[in-house]
Amino acid sequence: MTNKKILVVDDEEIIRKTIRIHLGKMGYELKEAIDGVDALKKLGEEKFDLLICDILMPKKNGWEVLKELRSNPSTKDMPVIVLTAKTRDEDMFRGYDLGANYFMTKPFTKSQLFYGIKLMFGEA
Amino acid sequence: MREESRKKVVLLLRWAVIIVTSYLILFAKGKVTHLDLGQILVLIYIATNLALTFLPKAYFFNPKLFYSLVIIDTGIVSLGMILSERVTIDFYLAFFLILIFASMSRNFKLLMTIGGITSILYGILLYSWGLFRSENNISYILRVPFVFIMTAFYGYIVQTFTAEKRQQLVTSESKYQSLFENANEGIIILRNPGWQMDAINREVERLTGYERGELLEKFFIDLFRQEEREQVVAYLEEIFQKGEAKTDALSMLRKNGSPLEIDLSIKRVDLEGESFYQVIFRDLTEQRRLEKKIRQSKRNLEAIFDGMRDRISLQGPDFQILRVNRAVVDYHQTTFLKLMGRKCYEAYYQRSSPCERCPVATTIETRQPASSVLKIPEGDMTLRIFSYPLLDDKGQILSVIEHTRDITEEQRLQEQLIQSEKLAGIGILASGVAHEINNPLSGIIGMAEIILEGEDPSNQESYLKDILSCAQRISEIVNGLRSYSRMARGKDLDQVDVNTVLEESSKMVRLAIKPSSVEVIKQFQPVEKIRANGGEIQQVFTNLITNAFQAMGGGDGRLVLSSRPLKDMVEVKVSDNGRGIPEEHLSKIFDPFFTTKSPGEGTGLGLNIVYRILTKHAGTIEVESKEGAGTTFTVRLPIWREK
Repeated sequence: MTNKKILVVDDEEIIRKTIRIHLGKMGYELKEAIDGVDALKKLGEEKFDLLICDILMPKKNGWEVLKELRSNPSTKDMPVIVLTAKTRDEDMFRGYDLGANYFMTKPFTKSQLFYGIKLMFGEA
Repeated sequence: MREESRKKVVLLLRWAVIIVTSYLILFAKGKVTHLDLGQILVLIYIATNLALTFLPKAYFFNPKLFYSLVIIDTGIVSLGMILSERVTIDFYLAFFLILIFASMSRNFKLLMTIGGITSILYGILLYSWGLFRSENNISYILRVPFVFIMTAFYGYIVQTFTAEKRQQLVTSESKYQSLFENANEGIIILRNPGWQMDAINREVERLTGYERGELLEKFFIDLFRQEEREQVVAYLEEIFQKGEAKTDALSMLRKNGSPLEIDLSIKRVDLEGESFYQVIFRDLTEQRRLEKKIRQSKRNLEAIFDGMRDRISLQGPDFQILRVNRAVVDYHQTTFLKLMGRKCYEAYYQRSSPCERCPVATTIETRQPASSVLKIPEGDMTLRIFSYPLLDDKGQILSVIEHTRDITEEQRLQEQLIQSEKLAGIGILASGVAHEINNPLSGIIGMAEIILEGEDPSNQESYLKDILSCAQRISEIVNGLRSYSRMARGKDLDQVDVNTVLEESSKMVRLAIKPSSVEVIKQFQPVEKIRANGGEIQQVFTNLITNAFQAMGGGDGRLVLSSRPLKDMVEVKVSDNGRGIPEEHLSKIFDPFFTTKSPGEGTGLGLNIVYRILTKHAGTIEVESKEGAGTTFTVRLPIWREK
């Protein structure tokens, strides 16, 4: 059991619900945001150990969230997993360029998700 | 006194002298001792004057004739006086007549000499008759100096008159000299032998570049180029025979060696028995250069005209063919002559009246350019015909230029372009939508895994419902894609409901470009169906809606789609409140390849394709935009009408 705090941001409720159930079993403390603006607000309020971030979202998309995150000293080293329906290579390169630590595409399985998280926490 | 009447006056005066003398000889009272001789003298006198009437006029200008006449007449009159022995009071009047007539020579010295001789002769005669010793001797003595004084007086008058006349001559001569010198044409006076130049005017100096002195030493022929001299000689021979000749194809050689193109006329002028040749020439170098240029440009224009692949035909206001280019002749496999003068509709389309929607007819009627597209069933051809009016000064139609371009291939390529852009559009859209499937798919996989793990069975129903709803969403997306692509595949004109197309297009675009915070407001009014290719109209709206979404970026936006009937049209508006189009770009947005997107993001063909498709459907498109406030595209399409 661990006390790591994770923020999940995705505009799709079903995605958030899936991750919520999966991570609940692992003992991680989970918070959710419904779009980019909501995510940045929550990141400003408290400190998280990991961000799982969708790309195609209203108000502010994942690319913009990443950019702001990396330009803020308090969050610039925070691990980020990009989880997106965008499957093209150039999207992946763009994600890494903007400072993502891991790039996952939808649809995903529970084990894929866990592997990514453990990789970020150096437990894999 | 006019110079031409000089002969007449001389003869008349002599008749007067003859009459007076004859009267004195034949009828005067007194002792007539030698009457027979007197009659012979009178006859001789009359004969001399008759002989003079046959003398040419020109001789009367010769001073020698006057010397001779005065001597002869003085002799005859003196002899008459001796023969009639009537040197009496009236006889001296005859001398005055002689004097008057002598004065016509205008020679003062001659006149005074005659006056002197006459006075002396009269004095001798009076003396020999002893009249100086008669009782009226004073009267006779006075007559001698009186004759001389009268002569002197008369001579003075003549002298003054002649001087004035000469002054007038000098004045008029200098006038003519000035005209000659300042003429705009080169004038050369030649005296024929050897063709040496007697006089030249300033223009000759200016044109040839030689000084006057140099020219006067030259022969006329030396002014011409070596290779043209033979021609000049032949030409001069013609002048010898005919008296005048003209030519316009000679070139002289300037002093600096450059050629001087001229036209030349030479005329023979006969003056007081002498012949002169007056040569007049003009500089045609500039004119020739222009003529050459005009000829060259005419040849060029004709070459272009005949070299054009498009068919060009010039028709009169009655549709008669006046001129055609080679492309017309080749196309109709005929000859120029067979087409000339025929009506265009007969010759080109085997019709008995002008074709429907013929732009030439429109131009004849309106005097404005016109154009139309004609589908020719034979050979499945499409022609675009332009017509332009040629008007006279009063604005009336002289003729019409008909320019026919075969646009079959162009049309085919345009169709291909529209089709390939449409397919590319569907590809991009489909891949965007395919990504969208990944979200519900993730939900299905996730929920299924959770159920399989068997934990918390009380929630299983909820998980299964989630799976169902995700599957339904996927099904919706797939159905949407299918109906979208089915419409896109359509190639023929059909009855199309604009509202349905708008609905489906916006749904697809929304799925493909997902920032879902854009609010889509639909304000559809019931509209009649339009006559269109559904796939192409779908492409129009997809492109416009995609642009609207992109203009609103990832932020909050409001897309308004509206439709309404407008007379015989359906009007559709696509409005966004995005970033707007800068004013300087507004005139270019429908141009092919105009784009403000980065390479790889847009081809710049989207709006151009929209424009092409709408033009093809006889529709229109307008754009209103304000930077920072948004853009509205207004599309109008004609509704379906059963033919």
